[in-house]
Amino acid sequence: MATQIVMDHTGDTRHYFDAKDAQALAKAEEQFKKLTGDGFTAAVRTSAGEVTRIRTFDPTAEETLFFPRLVGG
Amino acid sequence: MFLFRRSPVAARLRLRALRGLSRIFSSENSSEARGLRLLRSWLTSEQRAQFDAKRYFDVIGCDSRKRYRIHYGAMTNVHEIDAAGRPKVGWCFMPVGHLVAGDTMLAQKIALETNEFGALAVANSFPPKEMPPNIYVPC
Repeated sequence: MATQIVMDHTGDTRHYFDAKDAQALAKAEEQFKKLTGDGFTAAVRTSAGEVTRIRTFDPTAEETLFFPRLVGG
Repeated sequence: MFLFRRSPVAARLRLRALRGLSRIFSSENSSEARGLRLLRSWLTSEQRAQFDAKRYFDVIGCDSRKRYRIHYGAMTNVHEIDAAGRPKVGWCFMPVGHLVAGDTMLAQKIALETNEFGALAVANSFPPKEMPPNIYVPC
């Protein structure tokens, strides 16, 4: 199962989907576009543990993390 | 079993045990605990070891290669540090939405490691103070 993790006031909300299911994949891509369109940053981890920012949906990513836009304090 | 159920002492003990389990479950599923679990799972092994030992971890900015120290907290918790680990300047930035400390720290780490100048462009700087790693003050 692939996961989209969205940070929120509860800690995070997770959306699980089967990356082999075309319909689920399309829905996940739609969610990706909506979140990034709303200003969220999306990031994935490489196998080496390095974090990479992504701007387009990665259907092969096991885990995609989203956090809201940054502001100065 | 039947006798156990009817014993008031056993019932009280069972109730106490259930309350204890409920407390543990609640604390482990609090937003704070979830945020810290998410943070730890995304740290590198070195960062995780540093965070577990000192309640802060270091990241390298992707653009300048400068070193930053992210302390436990949700604001005024990021310091640019020198080669000796002394704070040079503080940077205050966080994601919108009142996120818990673990989430905020993870967002700060990812921002500095993948879009350092973008993060600093929105951040406010502040003079660093020598302070214990667990203490932070509001902006």
